[in-house]
Amino acid sequence: MASQKPENWFFRVKGLVFIQAFVTVTVVGLGWGWDLVRVEWAAVMSLMSGLLLAITLFSIRHLREVEKDLEDGKNKAEKERELQRVMLSSIGEGVVVLDTEAKVRLLNQAACKMLGWKMEEAIGKDWDIVAPLMDEQGNLIDKSKRATKRVLEEGIVLTNNKNCYVDKGGRVFSVGTTAAPIVIEGKTTGVIAIFRDITHDKAVDRAKSEFVSLASHQLRTPLSAIKWFTELLASGDVGEMTPEQKQFLENIYSSNERMIELVNGLLNISRIESGRIIIDPKLTDLGVLVKQIINDLVAQVSEKKLEMIVSLHPNLPQMNVDSKLVAQVYMNLLTNAVKYTPAGGQIEVMISLKGDEVLSRVSDTGYGIPPDDQKKIFERFYRAGNAVKMVPDGTGLGLYLAKTIVESSGGRIWFESEVGKGSTFWFTLPLTGMQAKSGEVRIS
Amino acid sequence: MNKKYLIMVVEDEKLLLQAIIKKLELTGFVAEGYGDGDLALERLKKKDNLPDLIWLDYYLGDLTGDVFLKRMKEILEKNVWIPVMVVSNSASPQKVEETLKNGAEKYLLKADYKLEDLVGIAKEMTGQKKQNDT
Repeated sequence: MASQKPENWFFRVKGLVFIQAFVTVTVVGLGWGWDLVRVEWAAVMSLMSGLLLAITLFSIRHLREVEKDLEDGKNKAEKERELQRVMLSSIGEGVVVLDTEAKVRLLNQAACKMLGWKMEEAIGKDWDIVAPLMDEQGNLIDKSKRATKRVLEEGIVLTNNKNCYVDKGGRVFSVGTTAAPIVIEGKTTGVIAIFRDITHDKAVDRAKSEFVSLASHQLRTPLSAIKWFTELLASGDVGEMTPEQKQFLENIYSSNERMIELVNGLLNISRIESGRIIIDPKLTDLGVLVKQIINDLVAQVSEKKLEMIVSLHPNLPQMNVDSKLVAQVYMNLLTNAVKYTPAGGQIEVMISLKGDEVLSRVSDTGYGIPPDDQKKIFERFYRAGNAVKMVPDGTGLGLYLAKTIVESSGGRIWFESEVGKGSTFWFTLPLTGMQAKSGEVRIS
Repeated sequence: MNKKYLIMVVEDEKLLLQAIIKKLELTGFVAEGYGDGDLALERLKKKDNLPDLIWLDYYLGDLTGDVFLKRMKEILEKNVWIPVMVVSNSASPQKVEETLKNGAEKYLLKADYKLEDLVGIAKEMTGQKKQNDT
């Protein structure tokens, strides 16, 4: 278009010069010839008529251009509308647009497919007729209680994944919906809702949940049998045993308890990773919690003649945390310290305040973590080479679980270690504590 | 314990059933063991000498604890109820809530308890029943 401009102007100017020359010659010639006007007036008149003609020609030309622009604009708008229509029908999720009376104004292809309606049939119909809503128990939800009503009245965005739609053929399917108001110049003129058939997602969730549950049942059952039979034997209910037999039985019992811990550890990781964990924060004294954990480890500590030092900040406040989760962190760090510190070594637990965080430190004078292993030490099932050689038993889950718990609580965990000198682990928890979360399962 | 209370144990794991029965008998209970939920329900249908307590596993192979409770409700006469302690290795809060709603009095996780502690709970529950009867 830009290259044509000079050419247009050239033709326009050339045309005008020609017309003006013609008019001037005609008017001046006639006027002068007939002696009606003086030469000067004739010249002025001819110039003015030329000017008028030029304006007229320009106007016509401009009108044509405007007309062409309008035509182009119309095509562009139509193209834009077509693009929008194609995009809307290509969206994999159902889209519905409702007017202020909750009647269907638009239904995309995915919505039509899910609900079994043709778009032309659905347009203008009450949304409650096109997509009846049911709760999880199978009760129909009255249209006065539907999200669309609230969205229209309150102008808010509502999301729900607990209800079901009933399609035209009567099939009920679980649906995830988000309904938002359509606001034009501050006024709600309708509702736009996006929805998705989540029947499969729900089935997968249920299957996963059921799998974890069944797996826990299967793994724990033989462990319970070992636990209860060793208990029956150890209690002398079925006859007295020699001290050595009793000692061996205690070994079986404690090994079994460790196995139960391993199963619980695996389950806990699965629960945290799946986001199904319940976080139930309650005011907790971390000092008391740590001392309880150390108490549980007293047998191992005294057996190895380890020195255990606990130092607590004098003004340590109670924290709003899920004590079971935090206990897991201390337990894993302390168990490692006990396991990987040679007899006669020292373990120190220190809890202090630092800014808006509580800082816990667990240090030992143990074997230390080789530099090559340090990067991977928080990985699931990873155990440092020297740890595997010195203490063959171990799951490689403890530090991973500790990290998962600390980080999901808004804290940080890190360490420093030197082979032959020992390791120090630090972790922080925000003074504000943990955020409560309703879930399905608890840590065990 | 003067009267010997009867405890019905419904547990599909033979070894666990054996350990529970042994411990209950050693403690002075009369214990009837069932490795199958349907068999236990058939026994309840006879309605004579009903147990004082039912020790129930949740996953029974053929049925689950809450189904057992529902069917037990259908079998027993309206004014008869037997206290139930569910002892399972699977205890999601949802399952516990549902089972308690269906009439179980306790839901306990096997791996968390020593056998002695569980038998202690059974003692308490039958003791409570005794008080209610008088």
